[in-house]
Amino acid sequence: MKKYVEDLDFHGEEKISDWPPWSPQDIRRKKGVLESARMMANSVMTSPCAGGVPQVEIELIYGQEELEALARKVEEIAHTNKAWKDAFLYEAVMVRDSDVIMMIGNTRCHETPLDANCGMCGGGTDCSYFYDKVEHKYGLVDITDRRSETMIKGPLCSARVDDLGYAVGSALWTAHTLMVDARPFASMGMAGQKLGYCSNSGMVVGVPVAAKTKNPYVDVNVDYHLINMDKVLDNTRKIYQTARLLRGFDYRKWIPKPAGKQEE
Amino acid sequence: MGHLIGDEYLRDHLLEVAKNIVLAIKKAPAITGRTQIETEIVYGDDIVPIIEVLEPVSRGQRYIQWDYETIKSCHEKGETPVIIGIGAKVDNSNLGWNCGACGFPTCREYNAYAKDCSGGGPLGGPSCNWKLLDYAIACDWACASAWQYKVDNRIMGSVGFAMAALGMLPDSNVKLGLALGPARDMVYYNREEMNRKITYEEEKTEMLKSASTMFTCFSGNGNPMYKTKDRWWTQPERMDMGFSQSAVEEYEKIVRQQVPEIVMKHVEKIAARYKKKK
Repeated sequence: MKKYVEDLDFHGEEKISDWPPWSPQDIRRKKGVLESARMMANSVMTSPCAGGVPQVEIELIYGQEELEALARKVEEIAHTNKAWKDAFLYEAVMVRDSDVIMMIGNTRCHETPLDANCGMCGGGTDCSYFYDKVEHKYGLVDITDRRSETMIKGPLCSARVDDLGYAVGSALWTAHTLMVDARPFASMGMAGQKLGYCSNSGMVVGVPVAAKTKNPYVDVNVDYHLINMDKVLDNTRKIYQTARLLRGFDYRKWIPKPAGKQEE
Repeated sequence: MGHLIGDEYLRDHLLEVAKNIVLAIKKAPAITGRTQIETEIVYGDDIVPIIEVLEPVSRGQRYIQWDYETIKSCHEKGETPVIIGIGAKVDNSNLGWNCGACGFPTCREYNAYAKDCSGGGPLGGPSCNWKLLDYAIACDWACASAWQYKVDNRIMGSVGFAMAALGMLPDSNVKLGLALGPARDMVYYNREEMNRKITYEEEKTEMLKSASTMFTCFSGNGNPMYKTKDRWWTQPERMDMGFSQSAVEEYEKIVRQQVPEIVMKHVEKIAARYKKKK
Protein backbone atom coordinates (compact mmCIF):
# COMPACT_ATOMS: atom_id res chain seq x y z
CA MET A 1 0.00 0.00 0.00
CA LYS A 2 2.82 2.34 0.92
CA LYS A 3 4.42 1.68 -2.46
CA TYR A 4 1.16 2.51 -4.20
CA VAL A 5 0.98 5.91 -2.49
CA GLU A 6 4.58 6.61 -3.40
CA ASP A 7 3.86 5.80 -7.02
CA LEU A 8 1.16 8.46 -7.04
CA ASP A 9 3.46 10.97 -5.40
CA PHE A 10 4.80 12.10 -8.76
CA HIS A 11 5.67 15.74 -8.78
CA GLY A 12 8.80 17.75 -8.23
CA GLU A 13 11.33 20.08 -9.76
CA GLU A 14 14.73 19.12 -11.07
CA LYS A 15 17.46 21.36 -12.26
CA ILE A 16 19.74 19.68 -14.78
CA SER A 17 22.90 21.36 -15.98
CA ASP A 18 26.51 20.54 -16.76
CA TRP A 19 27.81 23.37 -14.59
CA PRO A 20 29.28 23.57 -12.04
CA PRO A 21 30.85 20.10 -12.13
CA TRP A 22 29.77 17.59 -9.47
CA SER A 23 26.93 19.84 -8.29
CA PRO A 24 23.48 18.28 -7.69
CA GLN A 25 22.26 19.41 -11.11
CA ASP A 26 25.36 17.97 -12.75
CA ILE A 27 25.07 14.63 -10.97
CA ARG A 28 21.39 14.45 -11.96
CA ARG A 29 22.52 14.94 -15.57
CA LYS A 30 25.20 12.27 -15.19
CA LYS A 31 22.56 9.82 -14.01
CA GLY A 32 20.76 10.39 -17.30
CA VAL A 33 23.99 9.54 -19.11
CA LEU A 34 24.29 6.40 -16.98
CA GLU A 35 20.86 5.33 -18.25
CA SER A 36 22.08 5.93 -21.81
CA ALA A 37 25.19 3.84 -21.13
CA ARG A 38 22.99 1.02 -19.87
CA MET A 39 21.00 1.17 -23.10
CA MET A 40 24.28 1.10 -25.01
CA ALA A 41 25.10 -2.03 -23.03
CA ASN A 42 21.87 -3.59 -24.32
CA SER A 43 22.95 -2.99 -27.89
CA VAL A 44 26.38 -4.47 -27.14
CA MET A 45 24.58 -7.65 -26.16
CA THR A 46 22.57 -7.74 -29.40
CA SER A 47 25.50 -6.92 -31.69
CA PRO A 48 26.34 -9.49 -34.38
CA CYS A 49 29.00 -12.10 -33.63
CA ALA A 50 30.43 -15.21 -35.25
CA GLY A 51 28.32 -18.20 -34.31
CA GLY A 52 26.09 -16.25 -31.93
CA VAL A 53 28.39 -17.12 -29.02
CA PRO A 54 28.23 -15.07 -25.78
CA GLN A 55 31.63 -13.39 -25.52
CA VAL A 56 31.46 -9.81 -24.32
CA GLU A 57 31.60 -8.32 -20.85
CA ILE A 58 30.83 -4.73 -19.95
CA GLU A 59 31.73 -2.56 -17.00
CA LEU A 60 30.47 0.96 -16.40
CA ILE A 61 32.70 3.35 -14.47
CA TYR A 62 31.47 6.63 -13.03
CA GLY A 63 32.22 8.95 -10.13
CA GLN A 64 34.99 11.45 -9.53
CA GLU A 65 37.48 9.12 -7.85
CA GLU A 66 36.89 6.25 -10.24
CA LEU A 67 37.45 8.43 -13.30
CA GLU A 68 40.51 10.08 -11.72
CA ALA A 69 42.08 6.65 -11.12
CA LEU A 70 41.46 5.70 -14.74
CA ALA A 71 42.82 9.03 -16.02
CA ARG A 72 46.02 8.54 -14.03
CA LYS A 73 46.46 5.04 -15.41
CA VAL A 74 46.07 6.39 -18.95
CA GLU A 75 48.74 8.99 -18.13
CA GLU A 76 51.02 6.32 -16.74
CA ILE A 77 50.70 4.27 -19.93
CA ALA A 78 51.24 7.38 -22.05
CA HIS A 79 54.76 7.70 -20.71
CA THR A 80 55.70 4.12 -21.58
CA ASN A 81 55.57 4.61 -25.34
CA LYS A 82 56.54 7.52 -27.58
CA ALA A 83 53.84 6.61 -30.08
CA TRP A 84 51.21 6.94 -27.35
CA LYS A 85 52.45 9.91 -25.37
CA ASP A 86 50.69 12.89 -26.89
CA ALA A 87 47.42 11.23 -27.80
CA PHE A 88 47.07 9.34 -24.53
CA LEU A 89 47.81 12.45 -22.43
CA TYR A 90 45.05 14.25 -24.32
CA GLU A 91 42.75 11.29 -23.76
CA ALA A 92 43.39 11.30 -20.01
CA VAL A 93 41.84 14.76 -20.00
CA MET A 94 38.85 13.33 -21.83
CA VAL A 95 38.49 10.67 -19.13
CA ARG A 96 38.11 13.38 -16.47
CA ASP A 97 35.66 15.21 -18.75
CA SER A 98 33.45 12.11 -19.20
CA ASP A 99 30.25 11.28 -17.36
CA VAL A 100 30.37 7.49 -17.63
CA ILE A 101 33.03 5.26 -19.13
CA MET A 102 32.05 1.98 -20.61
CA MET A 103 34.57 -0.83 -20.78
CA ILE A 104 33.78 -3.46 -23.38
CA GLY A 105 35.90 -6.60 -23.40
CA ASN A 106 35.97 -9.89 -25.27
CA THR A 107 36.21 -12.86 -22.91
CA ARG A 108 37.10 -15.40 -25.60
CA CYS A 109 39.73 -13.84 -27.85
CA HIS A 110 42.64 -15.07 -25.71
CA GLU A 111 41.23 -18.33 -24.35
CA THR A 112 38.47 -19.84 -26.47
CA PRO A 113 39.06 -18.84 -30.12
CA LEU A 114 36.57 -19.31 -32.93
CA ASP A 115 38.60 -22.32 -34.11
CA ALA A 116 37.32 -21.94 -37.67
CA ASN A 117 40.66 -21.90 -39.51
CA CYS A 118 39.65 -18.51 -40.91
CA GLY A 119 43.20 -17.12 -40.94
CA MET A 120 42.22 -13.63 -39.83
CA CYS A 121 44.94 -13.61 -37.14
CA GLY A 122 47.97 -14.67 -39.11
CA GLY A 123 46.90 -14.85 -42.72
CA GLY A 124 47.25 -18.63 -42.88
CA THR A 125 44.71 -21.30 -43.65
CA ASP A 126 44.44 -22.66 -40.11
CA CYS A 127 44.58 -21.66 -36.43
CA SER A 128 48.29 -22.48 -36.01
CA TYR A 129 49.36 -18.83 -35.81
CA PHE A 130 47.42 -18.49 -32.56
CA TYR A 131 48.01 -21.92 -31.05
CA ASP A 132 51.75 -22.02 -31.80
CA LYS A 133 52.22 -18.89 -29.69
CA VAL A 134 50.14 -19.80 -26.62
CA GLU A 135 50.42 -22.47 -23.97
CA HIS A 136 47.75 -25.07 -24.54
CA LYS A 137 46.93 -28.75 -24.38
CA TYR A 138 44.83 -30.25 -27.16
CA GLY A 139 43.60 -26.78 -27.99
CA LEU A 140 42.58 -25.86 -24.44
CA VAL A 141 44.46 -22.64 -23.72
CA ASP A 142 46.13 -22.22 -20.34
CA ILE A 143 45.75 -18.53 -19.48
CA THR A 144 46.92 -18.81 -15.88
CA ASP A 145 50.29 -17.20 -16.64
CA ARG A 146 49.10 -13.64 -17.00
CA ARG A 147 52.55 -12.04 -17.11
CA SER A 148 53.25 -10.06 -20.25
CA GLU A 149 56.08 -7.94 -21.56
CA THR A 150 53.60 -6.02 -23.69
CA MET A 151 50.51 -4.04 -22.74
CA ILE A 152 48.28 -6.72 -24.21
CA LYS A 153 49.11 -10.41 -23.95
CA GLY A 154 48.85 -11.66 -27.52
CA PRO A 155 48.23 -13.42 -29.73
CA LEU A 156 44.47 -13.09 -29.87
CA CYS A 157 41.84 -14.73 -32.00
CA SER A 158 41.19 -11.97 -34.53
CA ALA A 159 37.75 -13.32 -35.40
CA ARG A 160 36.81 -12.70 -31.76
CA VAL A 161 38.45 -9.27 -31.87
CA ASP A 162 36.33 -8.58 -34.96
CA ASP A 163 33.27 -9.46 -32.88
CA LEU A 164 34.50 -7.09 -30.16
CA GLY A 165 34.53 -4.40 -32.83
CA TYR A 166 30.89 -5.15 -33.64
CA ALA A 167 30.07 -4.79 -29.95
CA VAL A 168 31.83 -1.44 -29.75
CA GLY A 169 30.17 -0.33 -32.99
CA SER A 170 26.71 -1.15 -31.67
CA ALA A 171 27.38 0.75 -28.43
CA LEU A 172 28.46 3.76 -30.49
CA TRP A 173 25.48 3.52 -32.80
CA THR A 174 23.11 3.59 -29.84
CA ALA A 175 25.02 6.53 -28.35
CA HIS A 176 24.54 8.41 -31.62
CA THR A 177 20.85 7.50 -31.66
CA LEU A 178 20.44 8.74 -28.08
CA MET A 179 22.37 11.92 -28.96
CA VAL A 180 24.98 11.41 -26.27
CA ASP A 181 28.65 11.83 -27.19
CA ALA A 182 30.84 8.73 -27.24
CA ARG A 183 34.02 7.56 -28.95
CA PRO A 184 36.11 4.39 -28.81
CA PHE A 185 39.59 4.59 -27.24
CA ALA A 186 42.48 2.13 -27.03
CA SER A 187 44.10 4.11 -24.21
CA MET A 188 41.13 3.82 -21.88
CA GLY A 189 40.66 0.15 -22.79
CA MET A 190 44.24 -0.76 -21.93
CA ALA A 191 44.25 1.37 -18.77
CA GLY A 192 40.94 -0.13 -17.66
CA GLN A 193 42.24 -3.62 -18.29
CA LYS A 194 45.34 -2.90 -16.19
CA LEU A 195 43.12 -1.60 -13.37
CA GLY A 196 41.23 -4.89 -13.41
CA TYR A 197 38.09 -3.88 -15.28
CA CYS A 198 36.74 -6.58 -17.61
CA SER A 199 39.21 -8.95 -15.98
CA ASN A 200 37.99 -11.95 -17.97
CA SER A 201 38.83 -10.32 -21.28
CA GLY A 202 41.85 -10.58 -23.56
CA MET A 203 41.21 -7.21 -25.15
CA VAL A 204 39.23 -4.22 -23.87
CA VAL A 205 38.03 -1.04 -25.56
CA GLY A 206 37.02 2.02 -23.55
CA VAL A 207 33.98 3.98 -24.67
CA PRO A 208 33.55 7.19 -22.68
CA VAL A 209 30.09 8.72 -22.74
CA ALA A 210 29.14 12.31 -22.04
CA ALA A 211 26.19 14.65 -22.50
CA LYS A 212 27.69 18.07 -22.13
CA THR A 213 27.37 21.32 -24.05
CA LYS A 214 30.69 20.57 -25.73
CA ASN A 215 31.57 17.10 -26.93
CA PRO A 216 34.67 16.29 -24.81
CA TYR A 217 36.19 13.98 -27.42
CA VAL A 218 36.59 16.33 -30.39
CA ASP A 219 38.05 19.73 -31.22
CA VAL A 220 40.94 19.73 -28.78
CA ASN A 221 43.74 22.29 -28.86
CA VAL A 222 47.47 21.62 -29.01
CA ASP A 223 48.96 20.56 -25.65
CA TYR A 224 45.47 19.69 -24.49
CA HIS A 225 46.86 18.02 -21.37
CA LEU A 226 48.27 21.41 -20.34
CA ILE A 227 45.54 23.68 -21.70
CA ASN A 228 42.02 22.46 -21.03
CA MET A 229 38.95 23.61 -19.11
CA ASP A 230 40.24 22.40 -15.73
CA LYS A 231 43.59 24.08 -16.28
CA VAL A 232 42.01 27.27 -17.64
CA LEU A 233 39.82 27.54 -14.55
CA ASP A 234 42.70 26.81 -12.26
CA ASN A 235 44.78 29.38 -14.11
CA THR A 236 42.01 31.94 -13.69
CA ARG A 237 42.08 31.44 -9.93
CA LYS A 238 45.85 31.74 -9.93
CA ILE A 239 46.06 34.96 -11.96
CA TYR A 240 43.01 36.79 -10.67
CA GLN A 241 43.70 36.15 -7.01
CA THR A 242 47.17 37.62 -7.38
CA ALA A 243 45.74 40.57 -9.27
CA ARG A 244 43.42 41.25 -6.30
CA LEU A 245 46.21 40.93 -3.82
CA LEU A 246 48.04 43.89 -5.33
CA ARG A 247 45.05 46.21 -5.23
CA GLY A 248 44.14 46.50 -1.56
CA PHE A 249 42.21 49.59 -0.48
CA ASP A 250 39.52 50.26 2.11
CA TYR A 251 36.41 50.02 -0.06
CA ARG A 252 34.26 51.26 2.83
CA LYS A 253 35.82 54.70 2.60
CA TRP A 254 36.93 55.09 -0.99
CA ILE A 255 36.56 53.34 -4.34
CA PRO A 256 38.52 54.60 -7.34
CA LYS A 257 36.24 56.10 -10.06
CA PRO A 258 36.89 57.39 -13.61
CA ALA A 259 38.40 60.89 -13.77
CA GLY A 260 35.80 63.65 -13.29
CA LYS A 261 33.42 61.33 -11.49
CA GLN A 262 35.10 61.50 -8.11
CA GLU A 263 32.55 62.29 -5.39
CA GLU A 264 34.78 64.75 -3.59
CA MET B 1 2.41 12.32 -60.28
CA GLY B 2 2.03 8.63 -60.58
CA HIS B 3 1.48 5.41 -58.72
CA LEU B 4 4.08 3.10 -57.21
CA ILE B 5 2.44 -0.30 -57.03
CA GLY B 6 4.00 -3.71 -56.58
CA ASP B 7 7.58 -4.48 -55.62
CA GLU B 8 9.56 -3.56 -58.72
CA TYR B 9 10.50 -0.04 -57.65
CA LEU B 10 11.73 -1.39 -54.31
CA ARG B 11 14.51 -3.26 -56.14
CA ASP B 12 15.86 0.03 -57.45
CA HIS B 13 15.31 1.67 -54.10
CA LEU B 14 17.33 -1.05 -52.36
CA LEU B 15 20.34 0.27 -54.25
CA GLU B 16 19.68 3.76 -52.90
CA VAL B 17 19.48 2.35 -49.38
CA ALA B 18 22.78 0.54 -50.00
CA LYS B 19 24.35 3.89 -50.87
CA ASN B 20 23.01 5.36 -47.64
CA ILE B 21 24.51 2.45 -45.75
CA VAL B 22 27.89 3.12 -47.33
CA LEU B 23 27.60 6.65 -45.95
CA ALA B 24 27.20 5.12 -42.48
CA ILE B 25 30.22 2.86 -43.08
CA LYS B 26 32.32 5.87 -43.99
CA LYS B 27 31.04 7.83 -40.98
CA ALA B 28 31.73 5.02 -38.47
CA PRO B 29 33.91 6.11 -35.54
CA ALA B 30 37.41 4.63 -35.42
CA ILE B 31 39.86 3.91 -32.62
CA THR B 32 43.08 4.51 -34.54
CA GLY B 33 41.68 6.82 -37.20
CA ARG B 34 44.24 5.34 -39.56
CA THR B 35 42.30 2.48 -41.13
CA GLN B 36 41.19 2.95 -44.72
CA ILE B 37 37.77 1.33 -45.25
CA GLU B 38 37.01 0.21 -48.79
CA THR B 39 33.47 -0.43 -50.01
CA GLU B 40 31.87 -1.76 -53.15
CA ILE B 41 28.21 -2.22 -54.02
CA VAL B 42 27.45 -5.22 -56.21
CA TYR B 43 23.96 -5.63 -57.62
CA GLY B 44 21.95 -7.39 -60.31
CA ASP B 45 23.66 -10.04 -62.41
CA ASP B 46 27.06 -8.92 -61.16
CA ILE B 47 26.52 -11.01 -58.04
CA VAL B 48 26.54 -14.19 -60.17
CA PRO B 49 30.34 -14.72 -59.90
CA ILE B 50 29.99 -14.56 -56.10
CA ILE B 51 27.24 -17.18 -56.19
CA GLU B 52 29.35 -19.37 -58.49
CA VAL B 53 32.39 -19.25 -56.18
CA LEU B 54 30.25 -20.13 -53.19
CA GLU B 55 28.78 -23.20 -54.91
CA PRO B 56 31.67 -25.66 -54.46
CA VAL B 57 32.60 -24.32 -51.02
CA SER B 58 29.02 -24.80 -49.89
CA ARG B 59 29.57 -28.54 -50.23
CA GLY B 60 32.31 -28.42 -47.60
CA GLN B 61 30.96 -25.85 -45.17
CA ARG B 62 27.40 -25.87 -43.95
CA TYR B 63 27.30 -22.18 -43.04
CA ILE B 64 28.44 -21.32 -46.54
CA GLN B 65 25.77 -23.59 -47.97
CA TRP B 66 23.23 -21.56 -45.96
CA ASP B 67 24.40 -18.28 -47.51
CA TYR B 68 24.86 -19.76 -50.99
CA GLU B 69 21.41 -21.33 -51.19
CA THR B 70 19.74 -18.20 -49.84
CA ILE B 71 21.42 -15.73 -52.19
CA LYS B 72 21.11 -18.00 -55.21
CA SER B 73 17.46 -18.74 -54.60
CA CYS B 74 16.62 -15.04 -54.14
CA HIS B 75 18.50 -14.22 -57.36
CA GLU B 76 16.69 -16.92 -59.33
CA LYS B 77 13.34 -15.58 -58.14
CA GLY B 78 14.26 -12.12 -59.45
CA GLU B 79 14.72 -10.81 -55.91
CA THR B 80 18.49 -10.34 -56.13
CA PRO B 81 20.01 -9.07 -52.90
CA VAL B 82 22.31 -6.08 -53.11
CA ILE B 83 25.74 -6.89 -51.71
CA ILE B 84 27.91 -4.32 -50.02
CA GLY B 85 31.52 -5.47 -49.92
CA ILE B 86 33.42 -4.00 -46.98
CA GLY B 87 37.19 -4.30 -46.78
CA ALA B 88 40.16 -2.81 -45.02
CA LYS B 89 43.90 -3.07 -45.11
CA VAL B 90 44.88 -4.13 -41.60
CA ASP B 91 47.90 -6.30 -42.35
CA ASN B 92 50.40 -3.50 -41.88
CA SER B 93 50.56 -1.65 -38.59
CA ASN B 94 51.60 1.96 -39.02
CA LEU B 95 50.78 2.64 -35.36
CA GLY B 96 54.09 1.88 -33.66
CA TRP B 97 52.19 1.01 -30.48
CA ASN B 98 54.04 -2.28 -29.78
CA CYS B 99 51.00 -3.36 -27.74
CA GLY B 100 51.53 -7.09 -28.25
CA ALA B 101 47.95 -7.97 -29.18
CA CYS B 102 49.03 -9.63 -32.44
CA GLY B 103 51.47 -11.90 -30.64
CA PHE B 104 54.63 -10.06 -31.63
CA PRO B 105 56.36 -7.77 -29.12
CA THR B 106 56.79 -4.98 -31.67
CA CYS B 107 54.94 -3.66 -34.72
CA ARG B 108 58.18 -3.94 -36.69
CA GLU B 109 58.38 -7.71 -36.13
CA TYR B 110 54.70 -8.09 -36.94
CA ASN B 111 55.08 -6.13 -40.17
CA ALA B 112 58.06 -8.24 -41.17
CA TYR B 113 55.96 -11.36 -40.62
CA ALA B 114 52.88 -9.96 -42.33
CA LYS B 115 54.67 -8.78 -45.46
CA ASP B 116 54.59 -12.18 -47.11
CA CYS B 117 51.19 -13.55 -46.14
CA SER B 118 48.65 -10.81 -46.72
CA GLY B 119 45.15 -12.13 -47.31
CA GLY B 120 46.36 -15.70 -47.01
CA GLY B 121 43.46 -17.02 -44.95
CA PRO B 122 39.87 -17.66 -46.01
CA LEU B 123 38.93 -14.44 -44.19
CA GLY B 124 42.12 -12.61 -45.06
CA GLY B 125 44.52 -11.73 -42.28
CA PRO B 126 46.96 -11.17 -40.77
CA SER B 127 45.47 -8.43 -38.63
CA CYS B 128 46.68 -5.61 -36.45
CA ASN B 129 43.92 -6.07 -33.90
CA TRP B 130 43.38 -2.35 -33.27
CA LYS B 131 42.98 -1.65 -36.98
CA LEU B 132 40.74 -4.69 -37.21
CA LEU B 133 38.54 -3.12 -34.52
CA ASP B 134 38.15 0.00 -36.69
CA TYR B 135 37.11 -2.25 -39.54
CA ALA B 136 34.67 -4.20 -37.39
CA ILE B 137 33.05 -1.00 -36.07
CA ALA B 138 32.48 0.04 -39.71
CA CYS B 139 30.93 -3.36 -40.51
CA ASP B 140 28.71 -3.07 -37.44
CA TRP B 141 27.58 0.39 -38.53
CA ALA B 142 26.64 -1.09 -41.88
CA CYS B 143 24.43 -3.66 -40.14
CA ALA B 144 22.96 -1.12 -37.72
CA SER B 145 22.26 1.26 -40.58
CA ALA B 146 20.53 -1.46 -42.61
CA TRP B 147 18.54 -2.38 -39.51
CA GLN B 148 17.32 1.19 -39.10
CA TYR B 149 16.23 1.27 -42.75
CA LYS B 150 14.30 -1.92 -41.94
CA VAL B 151 16.02 -3.96 -44.63
CA ASP B 152 16.74 -7.59 -43.82
CA ASN B 153 20.49 -8.08 -43.90
CA ARG B 154 23.37 -10.22 -42.74
CA ILE B 155 27.10 -9.68 -42.64
CA MET B 156 28.75 -12.70 -44.27
CA GLY B 157 32.23 -14.15 -44.16
CA SER B 158 31.26 -16.42 -47.04
CA VAL B 159 30.61 -13.47 -49.38
CA GLY B 160 33.83 -11.86 -48.14
CA PHE B 161 35.70 -15.03 -49.07
CA ALA B 162 34.14 -15.04 -52.56
CA MET B 163 34.98 -11.38 -53.12
CA ALA B 164 38.58 -12.02 -52.06
CA ALA B 165 38.85 -14.99 -54.40
CA LEU B 166 37.51 -12.88 -57.28
CA GLY B 167 39.99 -10.07 -56.59
CA MET B 168 37.32 -7.60 -55.56
CA LEU B 169 38.10 -4.89 -52.97
CA PRO B 170 41.69 -4.99 -54.26
CA ASP B 171 43.13 -2.59 -51.67
CA SER B 172 42.03 -4.66 -48.65
CA ASN B 173 43.20 -7.80 -46.90
CA VAL B 174 40.14 -8.43 -44.73
CA LYS B 175 36.78 -8.57 -46.50
CA LEU B 176 33.19 -9.22 -45.51
CA GLY B 177 29.99 -8.89 -47.49
CA LEU B 178 26.74 -7.40 -46.27
CA ALA B 179 23.83 -8.99 -48.10
CA LEU B 180 20.87 -6.60 -48.24
CA GLY B 181 17.29 -7.44 -48.97
CA PRO B 182 15.10 -8.43 -50.78
CA ALA B 183 12.38 -6.32 -49.23
CA ARG B 184 10.66 -8.74 -46.92
CA ASP B 185 10.98 -10.19 -43.44
CA MET B 186 13.08 -13.23 -42.54
CA VAL B 187 15.44 -13.57 -45.48
CA TYR B 188 18.57 -14.26 -43.46
CA TYR B 189 17.03 -15.47 -40.19
CA ASN B 190 14.48 -18.30 -40.19
CA ARG B 191 15.50 -18.62 -43.82
CA GLU B 192 12.51 -19.55 -45.95
CA GLU B 193 14.92 -20.16 -48.85
CA MET B 194 16.38 -23.09 -46.92
CA ASN B 195 13.07 -24.87 -46.63
CA ARG B 196 13.23 -28.37 -48.13
CA LYS B 197 16.98 -27.99 -48.74
CA ILE B 198 18.04 -30.14 -45.81
CA THR B 199 16.68 -33.49 -44.70
CA TYR B 200 15.72 -34.52 -41.21
CA GLU B 201 18.52 -37.10 -41.25
CA GLU B 202 21.16 -34.49 -42.17
CA GLU B 203 19.87 -32.12 -39.51
CA LYS B 204 19.88 -34.85 -36.86
CA THR B 205 23.36 -36.10 -37.77
CA GLU B 206 24.80 -32.61 -37.70
CA MET B 207 23.32 -31.79 -34.33
CA LEU B 208 24.83 -35.01 -33.03
CA LYS B 209 28.25 -34.01 -34.37
CA SER B 210 27.99 -30.34 -33.42
CA ALA B 211 26.53 -30.63 -29.94
CA SER B 212 27.83 -34.09 -29.08
CA THR B 213 27.69 -33.69 -25.29
CA MET B 214 23.89 -33.56 -25.65
CA PHE B 215 23.95 -37.14 -26.88
CA THR B 216 26.73 -38.62 -24.73
CA CYS B 217 25.92 -41.65 -22.59
CA PHE B 218 27.37 -42.52 -19.18
CA SER B 219 31.03 -41.51 -19.41
CA GLY B 220 32.30 -43.55 -16.48
CA ASN B 221 33.57 -46.34 -18.69
CA GLY B 222 36.05 -44.01 -20.38
CA ASN B 223 34.65 -44.52 -23.85
CA PRO B 224 31.06 -43.37 -23.82
CA MET B 225 28.45 -44.44 -26.30
CA TYR B 226 26.53 -41.88 -28.29
CA LYS B 227 22.76 -41.84 -28.52
CA THR B 228 22.69 -41.79 -32.29
CA LYS B 229 19.27 -43.40 -32.59
CA ASP B 230 16.13 -43.91 -30.56
CA ARG B 231 17.18 -47.43 -29.44
CA TRP B 232 20.73 -46.26 -28.83
CA TRP B 233 21.75 -49.21 -26.68
CA THR B 234 21.48 -51.58 -29.62
CA GLN B 235 24.57 -51.61 -31.85
CA PRO B 236 26.40 -49.09 -29.66
CA GLU B 237 28.26 -46.30 -31.48
CA ARG B 238 31.24 -44.39 -30.08
CA MET B 239 32.98 -41.17 -30.99
CA ASP B 240 35.27 -41.58 -33.98
CA MET B 241 38.50 -39.76 -33.13
CA GLY B 242 40.16 -40.76 -36.38
CA PHE B 243 41.93 -38.46 -38.78
CA SER B 244 40.63 -38.53 -42.33
CA GLN B 245 43.17 -37.62 -45.01
CA SER B 246 40.52 -38.01 -47.67
CA ALA B 247 38.23 -35.46 -46.02
CA VAL B 248 41.08 -32.96 -45.87
CA GLU B 249 41.97 -33.61 -49.51
CA GLU B 250 38.37 -33.29 -50.61
CA TYR B 251 38.07 -29.82 -49.10
CA GLU B 252 41.53 -28.78 -50.35
CA LYS B 253 40.38 -29.78 -53.85
CA ILE B 254 37.40 -27.45 -53.58
CA VAL B 255 39.44 -24.47 -52.45
CA ARG B 256 42.58 -25.04 -54.53
CA GLN B 257 41.07 -26.36 -57.78
CA GLN B 258 37.37 -25.76 -58.13
CA VAL B 259 37.30 -22.20 -56.79
CA PRO B 260 40.27 -21.05 -58.95
CA GLU B 261 38.59 -22.54 -62.03
CA ILE B 262 35.50 -20.41 -61.41
CA VAL B 263 37.62 -17.39 -60.57
CA MET B 264 39.48 -17.66 -63.89
CA LYS B 265 36.17 -17.27 -65.71
CA HIS B 266 35.50 -13.89 -64.13
CA VAL B 267 38.82 -12.51 -63.04
CA GLU B 268 39.77 -10.60 -66.18
CA LYS B 269 36.52 -8.68 -66.31
CA ILE B 270 36.68 -7.91 -62.60
CA ALA B 271 40.35 -6.85 -62.68
CA ALA B 272 39.61 -4.56 -65.64
CA ARG B 273 37.04 -2.74 -63.50
CA TYR B 274 39.71 -1.64 -61.03
CA LYS B 275 42.26 -0.78 -63.72
CA LYS B 276 39.86 1.78 -65.18
CA LYS B 277 39.48 3.28 -61.74
CA LYS B 278 43.21 3.90 -61.46
